[in-house]
Amino acid sequence: MDDLPLTPKPLPAPAPPETPLDAGSQALAEALRSSFVIIKFVMLVLVAVFLASGFFTVGPQQQAIILRFGRPVAQGQQALLGPGLHWSFPYPIDEPVIVSISGLQQVQSSVGWYATTREQELAGTEPPVPFGTPMNPVVDGYAITADANIVHVRATLTYHISDPIGYIFDFVNASNAVQNALDDALLYAASRFKIDDLLVRDVLGFKDAVRKRVSELIQERQLGVTVEACDVGSKAPRQLQAAFQSVLDAELRRSKVIAQARGYEIQTTNKAGAEATSRIKLAESERARFVDDISSRAKQFQDLLPKYKENPSLFAEQRLAYTLGNVMTNVQDKIFLPEKPQELRLQLNRPPAKPTTEESP
Amino acid sequence: MKRNLFTLSIGLLLFLIFGLLLFVFQVRQSEVAVVTTFGKPTRPITEAGRHYKWPWPIQKVYKFDKRIQNFEDRLTEGLTKDSFNLLTSVYVGWQITDPAAFFPKFAGSLNSISEAERKLEERLGNLKSAIVGQHALSDFVSTSDNAASLLGIEHEMLEAIQAQITTNNWGLEVRFLGIKKLQLPESVSKTVFDRMQAERKVLSDTSQSEGEAEAAKIHSEADRKAAVMLSDADSQATQIRAKGEAQAAESLAVFQQDPELAKFIFQLDALKDSLKDHSTLIFDANTPPFGLLHGVSTNLLKK
Repeated sequence: MDDLPLTPKPLPAPAPPETPLDAGSQALAEALRSSFVIIKFVMLVLVAVFLASGFFTVGPQQQAIILRFGRPVAQGQQALLGPGLHWSFPYPIDEPVIVSISGLQQVQSSVGWYATTREQELAGTEPPVPFGTPMNPVVDGYAITADANIVHVRATLTYHISDPIGYIFDFVNASNAVQNALDDALLYAASRFKIDDLLVRDVLGFKDAVRKRVSELIQERQLGVTVEACDVGSKAPRQLQAAFQSVLDAELRRSKVIAQARGYEIQTTNKAGAEATSRIKLAESERARFVDDISSRAKQFQDLLPKYKENPSLFAEQRLAYTLGNVMTNVQDKIFLPEKPQELRLQLNRPPAKPTTEESP
Repeated sequence: MKRNLFTLSIGLLLFLIFGLLLFVFQVRQSEVAVVTTFGKPTRPITEAGRHYKWPWPIQKVYKFDKRIQNFEDRLTEGLTKDSFNLLTSVYVGWQITDPAAFFPKFAGSLNSISEAERKLEERLGNLKSAIVGQHALSDFVSTSDNAASLLGIEHEMLEAIQAQITTNNWGLEVRFLGIKKLQLPESVSKTVFDRMQAERKVLSDTSQSEGEAEAAKIHSEADRKAAVMLSDADSQATQIRAKGEAQAAESLAVFQQDPELAKFIFQLDALKDSLKDHSTLIFDANTPPFGLLHGVSTNLLKK
């Protein structure tokens, strides 16, 4: 008990009195706390969703352009995003535009050709159209040529997109605009060519005219494409196939006749050339022979002159006799008339005498 | 404190996002827009980019595609100045250029683009007939480069439709126009076929006769060339021979020493040459040396 202090220990300060809460307040506080947690979570999710909505994929045959507040973020080819996963700021800041513009594009003309199917065309089973069948303007396409004839024409244009921004953002359907330009060019070129030039005589010129015109239109209208190739086809109306074929046949016959004439010309001139050369060569050889002959005679004359001068008459007799002797040897028929006959008959061109045999009478 | 800052940032970000969505809108490069305030168009927008507005229901934004639309009208028949029936169809590339003018006229319909094209087609039908009637068929199809060619006619049509659009203030612009189809009525095509067949017949006949004429010309030309070549050759041959004779004449001086002997030798040579082959010689006893046979009985005498 001695160890007991004399003064009592100070008592600890009493805890502040807690505000008495009823059960309802406690539940509300708990609910608010939970709600804040949920709201924070939702906010986080919303932000995450917002940011994640900026991801987009570009397919293998596609390309994409990002618009920032409506405008492309880059120009030309730099604006294009290739296949793969990409991210941009979500709308309303950025907006990706995905388009199929990879590689070469192709359009076919939609006017100028008759109604047919590719299968029929490839199989060659298009039904024949008899002469006199009129053209139905709604079904059968054709063009009118410069000489007011009817012809079928068509074209296939291959191009690549050189200005993707213009191609996508300036035209609702740029490939349709390219097709319209092709149709226009086809019709225009056909209207500038006569049917025979278009079909036969100047096929390349017609093709060039179509390509030139479609390129001009594409340039003028700033379609953002570059022409790679332009295949053009043309055909006479099926109603007149036989008539056109007859002209082609006549042209072939004409060519054949002219070719034969050219052959005759070559043969004749070659022959005449050879004959002319031969005549000139003959003349040259005759000239040479004649000159040689005269020269040799002159030499002979020089040799004989001294002997002749010794005794001219004897020399002459001797030479004459010698010559006659030689001549007589070569003469086939020799007829000697000892007396002057009153009449002499000679049978010219008589048949040769038959050889006689010993047995013959 | 850190947790509160983070929460505050997230909240601010969300506030910004919602603010952007409510007050900001973007107009694409391919669009034009009109902002209406309580339904009345108050602000046309033709520039792409970021724009602001009061939230609905105070202001509302109407966007239109300002890209060039492709439109093709139907085939319509017209009579040319030289009384040919022609069917024409054109395509036009048009776009909305003034959304404030376009909005009140076309935005009321379900599809403003289709409505605009319907009106365009109405106008095109009338003006095509009028312009076709001002031109002859040869203005549409011709090889010559005159001013009234197909291109000129297209240009006339473009100017005419643009003038009408401007007058009516549709808020559109036709950027280009081209003739897509140029055809003949069905009955006329049959007549054209008849003419074409007759032309083919003429061409076929002409081709054949031309071929024959050309061949005959080539034949005669070949014969003429051959005759000329031979004639030239003969001429050359004559000249060559003349040269030979001139050369031979140089030897005449030798014979001048005794013309009698020369003459005798020439005669002997001529005699030899003339009696070379298949010759028949008739002579009598006066011909030397057959005078030696004078008085001798012969086979003739025997007879």
